[in-house]
Amino acid sequence: MMADQALGAGANHSSGMKRWNKRKVISNTFSYALMILIALVMILPFLWTLSTSLKGQNEAIYTMPPRFIPEQWTLGNYTTVWNSLPIPVYFWNSIILSFFGVALPLILASLAAFPLARMEFKGKQFVFLLIMATMMIPAEVTMIPIYLILNKINLLGTLTGVIVPGAVSAYGIFLMRQGMLTVPKEIEESAVIDGAGVWRIWLNIMMPMVKPTLATLGILSFIGAWNNFLWPFLVLDDSSKYPLTVGLYKLKGTFVSNTRLVAAGSMITLIPIAIVFISFQKYFIKGVNAGAVKG
Amino acid sequence: MYKRSHAWSFLAPAGLLLLVFSIIPAFAALFLSFTKYDVINPVEWVGLANYKALMSNSLFWQAMSNTVYYWILVTPALVVLPVFLAVLVNRGLAGVKVFRLIYYFPTLVSVVVTAFLWSWMFQSDGVLNYILSLLGAEPLKWLTNKHMVLPSLALVTVWQGLGYYMLFYLSGLQSVPEDLYEAADLDGAGFWRKQMVITFPMLRPVIFFVAVVSTMGAFKEFTLMMNMTKGGPLNASTTVVYLVFDEAFTKLHMGGASAMSFVLFLAIMLLTVINKRYLDRE
Repeated sequence: MMADQALGAGANHSSGMKRWNKRKVISNTFSYALMILIALVMILPFLWTLSTSLKGQNEAIYTMPPRFIPEQWTLGNYTTVWNSLPIPVYFWNSIILSFFGVALPLILASLAAFPLARMEFKGKQFVFLLIMATMMIPAEVTMIPIYLILNKINLLGTLTGVIVPGAVSAYGIFLMRQGMLTVPKEIEESAVIDGAGVWRIWLNIMMPMVKPTLATLGILSFIGAWNNFLWPFLVLDDSSKYPLTVGLYKLKGTFVSNTRLVAAGSMITLIPIAIVFISFQKYFIKGVNAGAVKG
Repeated sequence: MYKRSHAWSFLAPAGLLLLVFSIIPAFAALFLSFTKYDVINPVEWVGLANYKALMSNSLFWQAMSNTVYYWILVTPALVVLPVFLAVLVNRGLAGVKVFRLIYYFPTLVSVVVTAFLWSWMFQSDGVLNYILSLLGAEPLKWLTNKHMVLPSLALVTVWQGLGYYMLFYLSGLQSVPEDLYEAADLDGAGFWRKQMVITFPMLRPVIFFVAVVSTMGAFKEFTLMMNMTKGGPLNASTTVVYLVFDEAFTKLHMGGASAMSFVLFLAIMLLTVINKRYLDRE
């Protein structure tokens, strides 16, 4: 920003600088107005749900105009949901699914991406195309056979059965390969000269160089695992194994007409992800911002 | 400096899992699509009968055209709008990081929860119709009118996806050398000219990526329909995957459902090839 102003002043003298600043003020005001408007659109559904979840049983939810501030504040909807569903159990299951849903794809994808990005070998192009092809197979195509395979190896109804089929993603391999392609050849060569073996090169050279990609893939995997609905819904039949998404779907069935309770249940599932996101975002934004040039 | 065996040992763990849980199931599904199978009775080979039945299945064609319509509503919006969002939050304005977080947050929310949030927004006397009334417009039957339901669902998908794709564009933008813009400033280029000449060409690989990923997402969407509309009204929001799920797990027509999913798979492949031809040029 400083450099821009100096440039403006140097080129156009003082009157030019004044006009230039005025333009800057207008454009910044416009940017802020636009950003605030979009932010409102993004959070409006959340605010509305929060408001609904805090409304008393006798208070109308739909009124014209909509009332965002409840007339009869209550936390009763939250305690009802908490007491009628095993929320901590759902939480724990979601945490287990998310942990393995992040760890396994990160390890497996970075292993597989390494030769695809850095080695020359016969069959490489074929393997890469095959992996990319699996990316295009909709999960719904393979859903039925995987269901039958899990049945065969006795994993139906278990959390392992939810985790294993999703442990490797072709998309993750693709992403890690893109990250590893950008590592300069010289770093790798000097490691070889120093006598490092392939596994050391992978662990000590490649992995630190692709940290931003790992962070991106880790976060994407976390979101995917935390929010996964279809697969746990299909594989699990015992409510003690349900993650939050499936539990919430059941909640809707249990309290079919009570919007306030479903809203409270939705807010309960949103709180942890908001906390994880807020505590994680520094590292995330850092990763995304790496290499940014700001005045 | 690397041996061939190294390559294969790195590839093996992921490769085996992909083989067992992706490649073999894909062929198994192809096999199933030529059979009649209801889980209880043994598999019966029926040749092309399932595919022939699809040709005259009007519900399948409706689901196909619904899916294509949904894709046309969703993908162009998700390719273009996040670019502007990324340009907006890429400026060094104070507090811009908070806005990025807010825009990204909907992406983190489970589609099950999203479906709840938006069915309340879409109520006939809900928030959206109130906003319309403030603008002097007539209230809309968001989810209950057969012409409105897919645009409404597309609106939810775009709302949820904006921040996700914004981040990809943002990291793309941040790899554009700043001096290109400075040079353009010196040449007196305005905002739009700079985006056209510098931003869009530099973002081309990201645009390809977003087009492919959002196309696949749009063609596979079903959780939203399952939670919000159950494919209705009058099958107006029955997408192919919703139909596949219904055929396979409600009616136990595994063979017919597999045939449908294969036609869908071919459609996605075709679109990806087209995307590659037009967007992925070096």
